Amino acid sequence: MRVNVTSAAALRPTVFAGFPASSWAFALRVWMAMMLALYVGFWLELESPSSAALTVAVLALPTRGQGMEKAGYRLLATVIGVIASIAIAGMFSQTGGLLLAVLGIWIGLCTYVASMLDGNRAYAVALCSITVALIAVEQIDTPLQVFPTGVARGAAIGIGVLAVAFVNEVLAAPSYHPVLASRIEALHRRVMNLVQDAERGETPSAAVAAGLLHDIAAVRPEIVSLTTESSIGTARTAAARSALVDLVSAFSVGRMLSALPTAPARDAAGLMAMSRSWLRTQIRQKDAQVRGSLDALRQGTPPYRAWRAPLYRSRRIAAETGVRAAISFALIAIVFVLTGWPATELCLALVAVIISLGSISPAPRGFTMVAVMAMPIASILAGVLKYLVFNGVSEFQLLAIGLAPVVIGLALLISLPSPMPSSLGRLVLVFTLAVLAPTNPQSYDPEVFLVTALFACLSSVLVFAAQMLLPPLSGDRRVVLLLGEIRRELGGLGRGRARDLAPEEAAFRDAVRIEQVLTAHGPSALDDQTAGEAMRCFDQAEALRRCHAELDQVRQGPLTTAAQAARAALAGRNGGAILAAAEALRQAAARSELPANAAIAALVAASVAFAPSRSPTAASQGTRP
Amino acid sequence: MTNTYRELVIGGVLIAPIVSYAAIALVAFLMLRPLLRIVGFARIFSNPSLAELCFYVALFGMLALFF
Repeated sequence: MRVNVTSAAALRPTVFAGFPASSWAFALRVWMAMMLALYVGFWLELESPSSAALTVAVLALPTRGQGMEKAGYRLLATVIGVIASIAIAGMFSQTGGLLLAVLGIWIGLCTYVASMLDGNRAYAVALCSITVALIAVEQIDTPLQVFPTGVARGAAIGIGVLAVAFVNEVLAAPSYHPVLASRIEALHRRVMNLVQDAERGETPSAAVAAGLLHDIAAVRPEIVSLTTESSIGTARTAAARSALVDLVSAFSVGRMLSALPTAPARDAAGLMAMSRSWLRTQIRQKDAQVRGSLDALRQGTPPYRAWRAPLYRSRRIAAETGVRAAISFALIAIVFVLTGWPATELCLALVAVIISLGSISPAPRGFTMVAVMAMPIASILAGVLKYLVFNGVSEFQLLAIGLAPVVIGLALLISLPSPMPSSLGRLVLVFTLAVLAPTNPQSYDPEVFLVTALFACLSSVLVFAAQMLLPPLSGDRRVVLLLGEIRRELGGLGRGRARDLAPEEAAFRDAVRIEQVLTAHGPSALDDQTAGEAMRCFDQAEALRRCHAELDQVRQGPLTTAAQAARAALAGRNGGAILAAAEALRQAAARSELPANAAIAALVAASVAFAPSRSPTAASQGTRP
Repeated sequence: MTNTYRELVIGGVLIAPIVSYAAIALVAFLMLRPLLRIVGFARIFSNPSLAELCFYVALFGMLALFF
């Protein structure tokens, strides 16, 4: 009989010391995987067994698929980072300032690429620069050691990945697809509630609508992890992706429906009724398709149609973030060169680590603040472990017992849903292991410990100081840049070469952009003007794309002239002209007895979207829940 | 009988046979995944991921034994 472990646990949630049983199981898995990684690392006499333990800390994710996906990217990024380290150390060794400049450029380049990606892909690119920092920067004075260090790091990471995979598989770590399916189901309910409100003529406020789009698009980076979960993971990923794209599509059709006037002018009443009826059919169709995709996600079968879920990439924001990261690193490197302190490689490497990890977090400054808090805590924890708990012992069993409370406690912190304690827990766990640096035999040199702890704290403070001098791209600036790009793209829509995307896929891309606007804006609610502007552009772009797609269907035949007139009206972005074009198309279709209902209905919806009353302030008005 | 292992040499760097076996087994496993999906491998077991791990270990072991 097939036993579903996760559903059984979900039925009776047991809470122990304030944490659910699933969190305790996760924390125990992290500890066991870490001990396995350390044991194998010691047994194989690896040069840096602590890297294996660090890998486990980094890959500590509650479900199997997420951990495996991150592990794959971590291995890939390590290989790329080691090759880059060898190339950089080979070409620019002994060049002094030039080497530091090249390292800064590499960090900037990685940050640029990472800003164009999301989820674990962005993490992988950030790890490319971290690997270079940990290999090339740490061996800056001994370039001949770059290759052995790279191999040692690769081996340690391989052991860490295997330990995590083994423990997760054997202890039946929960699958991610039930969690994801329930999240998409909840989003589906919210979208359908919004559509039902639209049927009653109620329009939610732009901020609420943007919030819903944000929640849908925020699931995107997580669906890729389903691929690594099992052999049917690819089908599940496709199903989840299709469900998300169809949800955005249903949402946008619902918005069109709610925008239609309830009491239209008498001459436009027929067209409005036609549009209303077509939009209702579209919503029913999308609802059925989302349900079908959700069933496919649960059963692991391919969806009815594999949509792509494109990501919006802002080159401008990525370039600005990359340049700032490179300059911050260069500034700190110059400080070290000027001070002339010995043995600052570790500090510079940690600086690169914090800059790279901060660049992929939504708020780099907030991440640096967490790092500033985490470093002293990690140093104190490592000091207590080293000199009060272990204090000279070298047996592995004692190491395992001594590490248990710290690792399990911090893993419990990681499992919390709130991002701040979770992020703090992960950073403290990683840096505690980095400062403790378990080796065989364990070193108890207080000088080494003090220097490491001091440099760890100094690195975070220096990054914070560099960010005071050159602040990272602020959330408000990101919002301004994104809104500018939204307006520009809307202006050029239908005029230049169209992207190779279906209207549904393009709508999802727009939803991702709105998600980026909201993420950049931070946890506070988006103001009505910004939300209204973003949603107005979303609605208009979606209406334009649907019109073009439907007009393409009647491109040839007797309706060609009417379709061309409609395209011209769309290019003018004039609601009245678009409505007149819809009426002309209706008459032409009636004369030639050809079906053009979809194109007419889409044109009517577009005419409402481009009506003069839909000004930025009017669009933000609506009911609030 | 002593098994002779051939080391992989990339640019003068010797790669341990176990690493190449692990990599080849991984590639073979990934290529077999569509086939596993077709035969419904995941539906046969209560813990499909553990079964897949065992399948990988079996592939890896066979490679090390016979090649």
